[in-house]
Amino acid sequence: MEKLNYEKPIISKITAGVPNKFGLSTKQRIIAEIDSIPVAKLADEFGSPLFVFSEKTIRETYNKAKQTFETHYPKVQFAWSYKTNYLDAICSIFHDEGSWAEVVSVFEFEKALSLGVKGSNILYNGPEKSEENLKLAINHNACIHIDHFDELYLLIKITQEMNKKARVAIRVNLDAGIYPMWDRFGFNYENGEAWSAINRIMLADNLELIGLHTHIGTYIMSALGYGIAATKFSSLMVGIHRKFNLWLKYIDLGGGFASKNTLKGAYMPGSETCPTFDDYAKAISNAIITSEIPHENLPILFLETGRALIDDAGYLITSVLANKRSTTGRRTIVIDAGVNLLFTSFWYNLGVFPSREISDLMEDTTIYGPLCMNIDVIRDAINFPQVKTGDRLVIERVGAYNVTQWMQFITYRPNVVLIDLEGKAHIIKKKESLETLRVNEFNPKR
Amino acid sequence: MQILEEIKISDNGFVFNALTGESFSLNPIGLEIIKMIAANSDFDEIRKTILDKYDVDDLSFEKDFYEFSTMLKHYQLTQQNNPLNFV
Ligand SMILES: Cc1ncc(COP(=O)(O)O)c(C=O)c1O
Repeated sequence: MEKLNYEKPIISKITAGVPNKFGLSTKQRIIAEIDSIPVAKLADEFGSPLFVFSEKTIRETYNKAKQTFETHYPKVQFAWSYKTNYLDAICSIFHDEGSWAEVVSVFEFEKALSLGVKGSNILYNGPEKSEENLKLAINHNACIHIDHFDELYLLIKITQEMNKKARVAIRVNLDAGIYPMWDRFGFNYENGEAWSAINRIMLADNLELIGLHTHIGTYIMSALGYGIAATKFSSLMVGIHRKFNLWLKYIDLGGGFASKNTLKGAYMPGSETCPTFDDYAKAISNAIITSEIPHENLPILFLETGRALIDDAGYLITSVLANKRSTTGRRTIVIDAGVNLLFTSFWYNLGVFPSREISDLMEDTTIYGPLCMNIDVIRDAINFPQVKTGDRLVIERVGAYNVTQWMQFITYRPNVVLIDLEGKAHIIKKKESLETLRVNEFNPKR
Repeated sequence: MQILEEIKISDNGFVFNALTGESFSLNPIGLEIIKMIAANSDFDEIRKTILDKYDVDDLSFEKDFYEFSTMLKHYQLTQQNNPLNFV
Protein backbone atom coordinates (compact mmCIF):
# COMPACT_ATOMS: atom_id res chain seq x y z
CA MET A 1 0.00 0.00 0.00
CA GLU A 2 1.24 3.46 -0.92
CA LYS A 3 2.04 5.39 2.27
CA LEU A 4 0.66 8.83 2.99
CA ASN A 5 2.78 11.94 3.25
CA TYR A 6 3.91 12.45 6.80
CA GLU A 7 3.75 15.73 8.66
CA LYS A 8 4.85 16.17 12.24
CA PRO A 9 2.00 16.30 14.80
CA ILE A 10 1.36 19.76 16.16
CA ILE A 11 -0.87 21.32 18.77
CA SER A 12 -1.03 25.05 19.31
CA LYS A 13 -2.92 27.31 21.60
CA ILE A 14 -5.60 29.61 20.23
CA THR A 15 -5.15 33.03 21.77
CA ALA A 16 -8.18 35.26 22.02
CA GLY A 17 -7.80 38.59 20.27
CA VAL A 18 -4.55 37.69 18.58
CA PRO A 19 -5.07 36.18 15.16
CA ASN A 20 -3.86 32.63 15.29
CA LYS A 21 -1.44 32.04 12.48
CA PHE A 22 -1.46 28.31 12.91
CA GLY A 23 -2.82 26.52 9.90
CA LEU A 24 -3.24 29.69 7.90
CA SER A 25 -1.72 29.37 4.50
CA THR A 26 0.22 32.63 4.63
CA LYS A 27 2.61 31.53 1.94
CA GLN A 28 6.12 31.25 3.36
CA ARG A 29 8.71 32.79 1.06
CA ILE A 30 11.41 30.37 -0.04
CA ILE A 31 14.92 31.28 -1.17
CA ALA A 32 15.82 28.18 -3.15
CA GLU A 33 18.62 29.66 -5.21
CA ILE A 34 20.90 32.64 -5.36
CA ASP A 35 21.55 33.95 -8.87
CA SER A 36 20.28 30.63 -10.26
CA ILE A 37 22.59 28.45 -8.15
CA PRO A 38 20.65 26.16 -5.80
CA VAL A 39 21.31 26.95 -2.15
CA ALA A 40 21.87 23.25 -1.41
CA LYS A 41 24.56 23.09 -4.09
CA LEU A 42 26.37 26.12 -2.69
CA ALA A 43 26.30 24.67 0.82
CA ASP A 44 27.42 21.23 -0.35
CA GLU A 45 30.32 22.70 -2.28
CA PHE A 46 31.48 25.46 0.06
CA GLY A 47 30.16 24.42 3.47
CA SER A 48 27.76 25.89 5.97
CA PRO A 49 27.54 28.57 7.21
CA LEU A 50 28.46 30.40 4.02
CA PHE A 51 28.34 34.03 2.99
CA VAL A 52 27.28 34.50 -0.62
CA PHE A 53 27.51 37.74 -2.59
CA SER A 54 25.84 38.48 -5.89
CA GLU A 55 27.91 40.55 -8.31
CA LYS A 56 24.77 41.13 -10.35
CA THR A 57 22.91 42.66 -7.41
CA ILE A 58 25.90 44.84 -6.47
CA ARG A 59 26.18 46.29 -9.97
CA GLU A 60 22.43 46.71 -10.39
CA THR A 61 22.03 48.47 -7.04
CA TYR A 62 25.01 50.72 -7.69
CA ASN A 63 23.77 51.71 -11.13
CA LYS A 64 20.29 52.34 -9.87
CA ALA A 65 21.63 54.68 -7.19
CA LYS A 66 23.99 56.43 -9.59
CA GLN A 67 21.40 56.92 -12.33
CA THR A 68 18.82 58.14 -9.84
CA PHE A 69 21.15 60.76 -8.41
CA GLU A 70 22.34 61.82 -11.84
CA THR A 71 18.80 62.52 -12.98
CA HIS A 72 18.50 65.04 -10.14
CA TYR A 73 21.98 66.52 -9.91
CA PRO A 74 24.66 67.08 -12.57
CA LYS A 75 27.81 66.02 -10.72
CA VAL A 76 27.69 62.95 -8.52
CA GLN A 77 30.57 60.79 -7.36
CA PHE A 78 30.24 57.75 -5.10
CA ALA A 79 33.12 56.76 -2.83
CA TRP A 80 32.90 53.18 -1.58
CA SER A 81 32.73 53.08 2.21
CA TYR A 82 35.40 50.48 2.95
CA LYS A 83 34.29 49.76 6.49
CA THR A 84 30.95 48.52 5.20
CA ASN A 85 32.61 45.69 3.30
CA TYR A 86 36.29 45.71 2.46
CA LEU A 87 36.74 42.31 0.90
CA ASP A 88 39.00 42.86 -2.12
CA ALA A 89 36.59 41.29 -4.58
CA ILE A 90 33.71 43.49 -3.38
CA CYS A 91 35.70 46.75 -3.41
CA SER A 92 37.00 45.92 -6.88
CA ILE A 93 33.47 45.73 -8.25
CA PHE A 94 32.64 49.18 -6.87
CA HIS A 95 35.89 50.63 -8.23
CA ASP A 96 35.21 48.99 -11.59
CA GLU A 97 31.86 50.81 -11.61
CA GLY A 98 33.69 54.08 -11.01
CA SER A 99 33.54 54.48 -7.23
CA TRP A 100 36.29 56.23 -5.37
CA ALA A 101 37.37 54.90 -1.96
CA GLU A 102 36.26 56.26 1.41
CA VAL A 103 38.56 55.01 4.16
CA VAL A 104 38.82 55.60 7.90
CA SER A 105 42.12 53.94 8.79
CA VAL A 106 45.54 53.40 7.35
CA PHE A 107 44.70 49.73 6.90
CA GLU A 108 41.79 50.69 4.64
CA PHE A 109 43.95 53.33 2.93
CA GLU A 110 46.60 50.76 2.08
CA LYS A 111 43.96 48.28 0.96
CA ALA A 112 42.53 50.86 -1.46
CA LEU A 113 46.00 51.65 -2.84
CA SER A 114 46.75 47.96 -3.25
CA LEU A 115 43.54 47.58 -5.29
CA GLY A 116 44.80 50.21 -7.70
CA VAL A 117 42.80 53.20 -6.47
CA LYS A 118 44.66 56.44 -7.18
CA GLY A 119 45.61 58.30 -4.00
CA SER A 120 43.81 61.40 -5.22
CA ASN A 121 40.62 59.30 -5.43
CA ILE A 122 40.73 58.36 -1.76
CA LEU A 123 38.70 60.25 0.84
CA TYR A 124 40.48 59.81 4.14
CA ASN A 125 38.06 60.14 7.07
CA GLY A 126 38.10 59.38 10.75
CA PRO A 127 39.54 60.71 14.00
CA GLU A 128 42.54 58.35 13.98
CA LYS A 129 45.32 59.61 11.75
CA SER A 130 48.89 59.56 13.02
CA GLU A 131 51.67 61.78 11.72
CA GLU A 132 52.94 58.87 9.70
CA ASN A 133 49.47 58.17 8.27
CA LEU A 134 49.03 61.81 7.29
CA LYS A 135 52.39 61.83 5.52
CA LEU A 136 51.33 58.78 3.54
CA ALA A 137 48.09 60.55 2.60
CA ILE A 138 49.90 63.75 1.61
CA ASN A 139 52.38 61.83 -0.51
CA HIS A 140 49.50 60.16 -2.32
CA ASN A 141 47.62 63.42 -2.74
CA ALA A 142 44.55 62.00 -0.98
CA CYS A 143 41.63 64.14 0.18
CA ILE A 144 42.17 64.41 3.92
CA HIS A 145 38.99 65.05 5.87
CA ILE A 146 40.10 66.79 9.05
CA ASP A 147 38.24 65.69 12.18
CA HIS A 148 39.49 68.07 14.90
CA PHE A 149 41.79 71.00 15.63
CA ASP A 150 44.66 68.78 16.82
CA GLU A 151 44.68 67.10 13.44
CA LEU A 152 44.47 70.47 11.69
CA TYR A 153 47.52 71.82 13.58
CA LEU A 154 49.41 68.58 13.05
CA LEU A 155 48.75 68.90 9.30
CA ILE A 156 49.98 72.51 9.29
CA LYS A 157 53.18 71.39 10.98
CA ILE A 158 53.76 68.36 8.73
CA THR A 159 53.09 70.17 5.46
CA GLN A 160 55.56 72.89 6.48
CA GLU A 161 58.21 70.29 7.31
CA MET A 162 57.58 68.36 4.11
CA ASN A 163 57.19 71.58 2.16
CA LYS A 164 54.24 69.95 0.42
CA LYS A 165 50.62 70.86 -0.08
CA ALA A 166 47.78 68.80 1.36
CA ARG A 167 44.30 68.70 -0.13
CA VAL A 168 41.85 68.91 2.72
CA ALA A 169 38.18 69.08 3.64
CA ILE A 170 36.68 69.36 7.09
CA ARG A 171 34.28 66.97 8.70
CA VAL A 172 31.32 68.95 9.97
CA ASN A 173 28.68 67.87 12.43
CA LEU A 174 25.38 69.64 12.23
CA ASP A 175 21.81 69.54 13.40
CA ALA A 176 19.87 67.97 10.55
CA GLY A 177 16.93 67.09 12.74
CA ILE A 178 18.35 63.58 13.14
CA TYR A 179 18.66 62.03 16.57
CA PRO A 180 21.00 61.03 17.99
CA MET A 181 23.09 63.84 16.51
CA TRP A 182 26.53 62.52 15.68
CA ASP A 183 28.39 65.46 17.18
CA ARG A 184 31.50 63.60 18.27
CA PHE A 185 33.05 63.75 14.82
CA GLY A 186 34.27 66.88 13.14
CA PHE A 187 33.63 70.55 13.75
CA ASN A 188 30.22 71.83 14.75
CA TYR A 189 28.29 73.95 12.27
CA GLU A 190 25.80 75.70 14.55
CA ASN A 191 28.27 77.02 17.12
CA GLY A 192 30.68 78.42 14.52
CA GLU A 193 33.43 75.89 15.09
CA ALA A 194 33.34 74.74 11.46
CA TRP A 195 33.64 78.34 10.26
CA SER A 196 36.64 78.88 12.58
CA ALA A 197 38.35 75.77 11.24
CA ILE A 198 37.76 76.93 7.67
CA ASN A 199 39.28 80.33 8.49
CA ARG A 200 42.34 78.70 10.02
CA ILE A 201 42.82 76.44 7.00
CA MET A 202 42.55 79.40 4.63
CA LEU A 203 45.46 81.02 6.49
CA ALA A 204 47.68 77.95 6.07
CA ASP A 205 49.83 78.19 2.95
CA ASN A 206 50.15 74.47 2.48
CA LEU A 207 46.54 73.46 3.00
CA GLU A 208 44.22 73.56 0.03
CA LEU A 209 40.58 73.50 1.12
CA ILE A 210 38.63 71.57 -1.49
CA GLY A 211 35.50 70.29 0.22
CA LEU A 212 33.11 69.87 3.12
CA HIS A 213 32.17 66.54 4.63
CA THR A 214 29.49 65.30 6.99
CA HIS A 215 27.91 62.01 7.91
CA ILE A 216 24.70 62.68 9.77
CA GLY A 217 24.22 59.13 11.02
CA THR A 218 23.33 55.73 9.71
CA TYR A 219 20.04 54.12 8.63
CA ILE A 220 18.49 57.58 8.29
CA MET A 221 14.78 57.19 7.61
CA SER A 222 14.24 60.84 6.75
CA ALA A 223 15.35 62.20 3.40
CA LEU A 224 14.63 65.65 4.81
CA GLY A 225 17.71 65.45 7.07
CA TYR A 226 19.92 65.32 3.97
CA GLY A 227 18.16 68.37 2.58
CA ILE A 228 18.92 70.28 5.78
CA ALA A 229 22.57 69.22 5.70
CA ALA A 230 22.88 70.22 2.03
CA THR A 231 21.33 73.62 2.75
CA LYS A 232 23.77 74.27 5.59
CA PHE A 233 26.71 73.22 3.42
CA SER A 234 25.51 75.49 0.62
CA SER A 235 25.47 78.41 3.07
CA LEU A 236 29.02 77.58 4.15
CA MET A 237 30.13 77.44 0.52
CA VAL A 238 28.55 80.80 -0.19
CA GLY A 239 30.22 82.23 2.95
CA ILE A 240 33.61 80.89 1.90
CA HIS A 241 33.21 82.38 -1.56
CA ARG A 242 32.15 85.75 -0.14
CA LYS A 243 35.13 85.94 2.20
CA PHE A 244 37.87 84.15 0.26
CA ASN A 245 36.65 84.23 -3.34
CA LEU A 246 36.85 80.46 -3.51
CA TRP A 247 34.26 77.97 -4.69
CA LEU A 248 34.87 74.59 -3.04
CA LYS A 249 35.06 71.61 -5.38
CA TYR A 250 32.80 69.26 -3.47
CA ILE A 251 30.41 68.59 -0.69
CA ASP A 252 30.37 65.09 0.73
CA LEU A 253 27.17 64.08 2.51
CA GLY A 254 28.59 60.80 3.80
CA GLY A 255 26.57 57.60 4.04
CA GLY A 256 23.52 56.70 6.04
CA PHE A 257 20.81 55.84 3.50
CA ALA A 258 18.60 53.13 5.00
CA SER A 259 18.74 49.64 3.52
CA LYS A 260 15.58 47.54 3.22
CA ASN A 261 16.33 45.68 6.42
CA THR A 262 13.80 45.98 9.23
CA LEU A 263 14.97 47.66 12.41
CA LYS A 264 14.23 45.89 15.67
CA GLY A 265 11.08 47.31 17.19
CA ALA A 266 9.79 48.57 13.83
CA TYR A 267 6.21 47.60 13.14
CA MET A 268 6.40 47.69 9.36
CA PRO A 269 9.06 45.92 7.29
CA GLY A 270 11.94 48.16 6.16
CA SER A 271 11.23 47.27 2.54
CA GLU A 272 7.95 49.21 2.92
CA THR A 273 9.17 52.15 4.95
CA CYS A 274 12.69 53.13 3.94
CA PRO A 275 13.05 56.10 1.57
CA THR A 276 14.10 55.38 -2.00
CA PHE A 277 17.26 56.71 -3.67
CA ASP A 278 14.92 59.05 -5.47
CA ASP A 279 13.63 60.54 -2.19
CA TYR A 280 17.16 61.19 -0.93
CA ALA A 281 18.33 62.53 -4.30
CA LYS A 282 15.44 64.97 -4.56
CA ALA A 283 15.94 66.34 -1.06
CA ILE A 284 19.67 66.89 -1.61
CA SER A 285 19.59 68.32 -5.12
CA ASN A 286 16.70 70.69 -4.34
CA ALA A 287 18.65 72.10 -1.43
CA ILE A 288 21.82 72.71 -3.43
CA ILE A 289 20.23 73.87 -6.66
CA THR A 290 17.93 76.37 -4.93
CA SER A 291 20.82 77.81 -2.88
CA GLU A 292 22.79 80.93 -3.85
CA ILE A 293 25.56 78.88 -5.47
CA PRO A 294 25.70 79.86 -9.18
CA HIS A 295 25.01 76.99 -11.52
CA GLU A 296 28.51 76.97 -13.00
CA ASN A 297 30.01 76.65 -9.52
CA LEU A 298 27.85 73.80 -8.28
CA PRO A 299 30.01 71.45 -6.23
CA ILE A 300 30.48 67.77 -6.96
CA LEU A 301 28.20 65.79 -4.68
CA PHE A 302 30.12 62.96 -3.01
CA LEU A 303 28.22 60.11 -1.42
CA GLU A 304 29.80 57.50 0.84
CA THR A 305 26.76 55.24 0.76
CA GLY A 306 27.51 51.91 2.43
CA ARG A 307 24.70 49.66 3.61
CA ALA A 308 22.14 50.76 1.01
CA LEU A 309 24.51 49.66 -1.76
CA ILE A 310 25.60 46.27 -0.44
CA ASP A 311 23.09 44.87 2.08
CA ASP A 312 20.84 43.31 -0.56
CA ALA A 313 23.73 41.61 -2.36
CA GLY A 314 24.81 39.52 0.64
CA TYR A 315 23.25 36.28 1.91
CA LEU A 316 24.20 33.89 4.67
CA ILE A 317 23.40 30.23 4.12
CA THR A 318 23.05 28.38 7.40
CA SER A 319 21.90 24.91 8.53
CA VAL A 320 19.48 23.78 11.22
CA LEU A 321 21.31 22.01 14.03
CA ALA A 322 18.39 21.27 16.34
CA ASN A 323 14.74 21.81 17.14
CA LYS A 324 13.93 22.35 20.80
CA ARG A 325 11.12 23.34 23.13
CA SER A 326 11.87 25.89 25.82
CA THR A 327 10.52 25.48 29.33
CA THR A 328 7.60 27.68 28.31
CA GLY A 329 6.79 25.35 25.44
CA ARG A 330 8.05 27.82 22.87
CA ARG A 331 9.59 26.41 19.74
CA THR A 332 13.25 27.23 19.32
CA ILE A 333 15.68 26.20 16.65
CA VAL A 334 19.45 26.24 16.73
CA ILE A 335 21.34 27.12 13.56
CA ASP A 336 25.04 26.94 12.76
CA ALA A 337 25.55 30.73 12.38
CA GLY A 338 25.84 32.90 15.46
CA VAL A 339 25.82 36.59 16.27
CA ASN A 340 29.61 36.59 15.92
CA LEU A 341 29.02 36.34 12.14
CA LEU A 342 25.94 38.54 12.11
CA PHE A 343 26.74 41.77 13.86
CA THR A 344 23.72 43.38 12.20
CA SER A 345 21.37 40.97 14.00
CA PHE A 346 21.77 43.28 17.00
CA TRP A 347 20.02 46.02 14.98
CA TYR A 348 17.74 44.24 12.60
CA ASN A 349 15.12 41.55 12.54
CA LEU A 350 16.95 39.81 9.74
CA GLY A 351 14.87 37.90 7.21
CA VAL A 352 15.36 34.13 7.59
CA PHE A 353 13.90 31.83 4.95
CA PRO A 354 13.80 28.10 4.20
CA SER A 355 15.52 27.02 1.01
CA ARG A 356 12.91 24.46 -0.04
CA GLU A 357 9.18 23.92 0.26
CA ILE A 358 8.43 22.62 3.71
CA SER A 359 5.18 22.39 5.58
CA ASP A 360 2.86 25.38 5.63
CA LEU A 361 2.50 25.05 9.37
CA MET A 362 3.92 28.15 10.93
CA GLU A 363 4.75 28.64 14.55
CA ASP A 364 6.18 31.49 16.57
CA THR A 365 9.83 30.56 16.92
CA THR A 366 13.08 31.75 18.45
CA ILE A 367 16.21 31.19 16.36
CA TYR A 368 19.44 30.71 18.28
CA GLY A 369 22.99 30.57 17.01
CA PRO A 370 25.46 27.85 18.06
CA LEU A 371 27.65 29.88 20.43
CA CYS A 372 27.55 28.77 24.04
CA MET A 373 26.36 32.23 25.05
CA ASN A 374 22.97 33.51 26.06
CA ILE A 375 23.20 36.56 23.81
CA ASP A 376 23.41 34.39 20.73
CA VAL A 377 19.91 35.04 19.39
CA ILE A 378 19.44 35.59 15.66
CA ARG A 379 15.66 36.15 15.87
CA ASP A 380 13.79 36.31 19.15
CA ALA A 381 10.40 35.95 17.49
CA ILE A 382 9.70 34.89 13.94
CA ASN A 383 6.73 33.05 12.49
CA PHE A 384 8.49 30.09 10.96
CA PRO A 385 7.59 26.75 9.36
CA GLN A 386 8.68 23.39 10.72
CA VAL A 387 12.22 22.48 9.73
CA LYS A 388 14.42 19.46 10.25
CA THR A 389 18.05 19.17 11.27
CA GLY A 390 20.25 19.66 8.26
CA ASP A 391 17.74 21.89 6.45
CA ARG A 392 19.43 24.88 4.81
CA LEU A 393 18.09 28.31 5.62
CA VAL A 394 18.98 31.60 3.99
CA ILE A 395 19.39 34.88 5.84
CA GLU A 396 19.03 37.80 3.48
CA ARG A 397 20.38 41.37 3.37
CA VAL A 398 23.57 40.72 5.28
CA GLY A 399 26.00 42.35 2.84
CA ALA A 400 26.88 45.36 4.99
CA TYR A 401 29.15 45.35 8.04
CA ASN A 402 28.92 41.64 8.83
CA VAL A 403 32.04 40.56 6.97
CA THR A 404 34.00 43.45 8.45
CA GLN A 405 32.74 43.37 12.03
CA TRP A 406 32.52 39.59 12.41
CA MET A 407 34.36 38.06 15.28
CA GLN A 408 36.37 34.91 15.36
CA PHE A 409 34.97 33.03 18.33
CA ILE A 410 35.24 29.32 19.22
CA THR A 411 35.32 28.29 15.59
CA TYR A 412 36.51 29.36 12.16
CA ARG A 413 34.97 32.13 10.15
CA PRO A 414 33.39 30.56 7.06
CA ASN A 415 34.00 30.78 3.34
CA VAL A 416 32.71 33.80 1.48
CA VAL A 417 31.78 33.30 -2.16
CA LEU A 418 30.90 35.66 -4.96
CA ILE A 419 28.61 34.64 -7.79
CA ASP A 420 29.89 36.41 -10.88
CA LEU A 421 27.88 37.76 -13.79
CA GLU A 422 28.17 34.43 -15.60
CA GLY A 423 26.59 32.66 -12.64
CA LYS A 424 29.82 31.04 -11.47
CA ALA A 425 30.67 30.92 -7.76
CA HIS A 426 34.18 31.85 -6.59
CA ILE A 427 35.64 31.76 -3.09
CA ILE A 428 36.63 35.34 -2.32
CA LYS A 429 37.64 34.69 1.28
CA LYS A 430 38.63 31.28 2.43
CA LYS A 431 37.41 29.68 5.64
CA GLU A 432 39.89 30.06 8.48
CA SER A 433 41.92 27.11 9.71
CA LEU A 434 44.01 26.29 12.74
CA GLU A 435 47.10 27.41 10.83
CA THR A 436 45.72 30.72 9.60
CA LEU A 437 44.48 31.57 13.08
CA ARG A 438 47.76 30.63 14.70
CA VAL A 439 50.02 32.39 12.28
CA ASN A 440 50.56 35.32 14.64
CA GLU A 441 50.58 33.35 17.88
CA PHE A 442 53.74 32.61 19.82
CA ASN A 443 54.06 30.21 22.70
CA PRO A 444 57.13 30.84 24.90
CA LYS A 445 56.53 27.61 26.83
CA ARG A 446 57.20 25.34 23.88
CA MET B 1 0.07 9.25 29.46
CA GLN B 2 -3.58 10.04 29.99
CA ILE B 3 -5.69 12.86 28.61
CA LEU B 4 -7.63 14.57 31.38
CA GLU B 5 -11.37 13.93 31.54
CA GLU B 6 -12.17 17.63 31.21
CA ILE B 7 -10.57 17.82 27.77
CA LYS B 8 -12.98 17.85 24.83
CA ILE B 9 -11.61 16.88 21.44
CA SER B 10 -13.67 17.75 18.36
CA ASP B 11 -13.46 15.89 15.08
CA ASN B 12 -12.26 18.93 13.16
CA GLY B 13 -9.12 19.39 15.20
CA PHE B 14 -10.10 21.62 18.06
CA VAL B 15 -9.39 20.91 21.70
CA PHE B 16 -11.11 22.61 24.59
CA ASN B 17 -9.89 22.47 28.17
CA ALA B 18 -12.94 22.93 30.42
CA LEU B 19 -10.68 23.41 33.45
CA THR B 20 -8.91 26.46 32.13
CA GLY B 21 -11.17 27.58 29.30
CA GLU B 22 -8.28 27.40 26.85
CA SER B 23 -8.66 26.22 23.26
CA PHE B 24 -6.14 24.57 20.97
CA SER B 25 -5.93 23.56 17.38
CA LEU B 26 -4.35 20.43 15.94
CA ASN B 27 -3.15 19.46 12.51
CA PRO B 28 -4.77 16.27 11.13
CA ILE B 29 -2.04 13.92 12.29
CA GLY B 30 -2.01 15.61 15.70
CA LEU B 31 -5.74 14.95 15.93
CA GLU B 32 -5.27 11.32 14.98
CA ILE B 33 -2.64 10.85 17.66
CA ILE B 34 -4.44 12.66 20.45
CA LYS B 35 -7.49 10.50 19.78
CA MET B 36 -5.39 7.37 20.11
CA ILE B 37 -3.93 8.66 23.36
CA ALA B 38 -7.41 9.45 24.62
CA ALA B 39 -8.40 5.88 23.74
CA ASN B 40 -5.52 4.69 25.95
CA SER B 41 -3.29 3.40 23.18
CA ASP B 42 0.30 3.17 24.32
CA PHE B 43 3.28 4.50 22.39
CA ASP B 44 4.04 1.20 20.68
CA GLU B 45 0.52 0.94 19.30
CA ILE B 46 0.52 4.51 18.14
CA ARG B 47 3.91 4.13 16.51
CA LYS B 48 2.82 1.03 14.64
CA THR B 49 -0.34 2.70 13.36
CA ILE B 50 1.50 5.79 12.18
CA LEU B 51 4.45 3.94 10.64
CA ASP B 52 2.11 1.63 8.74
CA LYS B 53 0.11 4.49 7.40
CA TYR B 54 2.60 7.29 6.79
CA ASP B 55 5.91 7.66 5.08
CA VAL B 56 8.11 8.26 8.13
CA ASP B 57 10.93 6.40 9.83
CA ASP B 58 10.90 5.09 13.33
CA LEU B 59 13.32 7.53 14.95
CA SER B 60 11.91 10.64 13.32
CA PHE B 61 8.47 9.75 14.52
CA GLU B 62 9.69 8.98 18.02
CA LYS B 63 11.32 12.39 18.18
CA ASP B 64 8.20 14.17 16.93
CA PHE B 65 5.98 12.17 19.25
CA TYR B 66 8.16 13.09 22.20
CA GLU B 67 7.86 16.78 21.31
CA PHE B 68 4.10 16.46 20.80
CA SER B 69 3.57 14.80 24.17
CA THR B 70 5.75 17.42 25.84
CA MET B 71 3.42 20.06 24.44
CA LEU B 72 0.32 18.17 25.63
CA LYS B 73 1.84 18.09 29.08
CA HIS B 74 2.90 21.72 28.84
CA TYR B 75 -0.64 22.77 27.96
CA GLN B 76 -1.90 20.68 30.90
CA LEU B 77 -4.01 18.42 28.78
CA THR B 78 -2.56 15.27 30.30
CA GLN B 79 -2.31 13.99 33.81
CA GLN B 80 0.77 15.47 35.43
CA ASN B 81 3.10 13.09 37.20
CA ASN B 82 5.76 14.33 39.54
CA PRO B 83 8.71 14.73 37.19
CA LEU B 84 11.14 14.02 40.02
CA ASN B 85 9.72 10.57 40.70
CA PHE B 86 12.04 9.22 38.04
CA VAL B 87 9.73 6.35 37.27
C1 LIG C 1 32.17 58.69 7.49
C2 LIG C 1 31.27 57.60 7.05
N1 LIG C 1 30.92 57.51 5.76
C3 LIG C 1 30.10 56.52 5.31
C4 LIG C 1 29.60 55.56 6.17
C5 LIG C 1 28.69 54.50 5.60
O1 LIG C 1 27.43 54.59 6.18
P1 LIG C 1 26.17 53.75 5.69
O2 LIG C 1 26.54 52.31 5.66
O3 LIG C 1 25.14 54.04 6.75
O4 LIG C 1 25.76 54.26 4.34
C6 LIG C 1 29.93 55.62 7.53
C7 LIG C 1 29.40 54.64 8.47
O5 LIG C 1 29.37 54.77 9.67
C8 LIG C 1 30.78 56.67 7.99
O6 LIG C 1 31.13 56.77 9.28
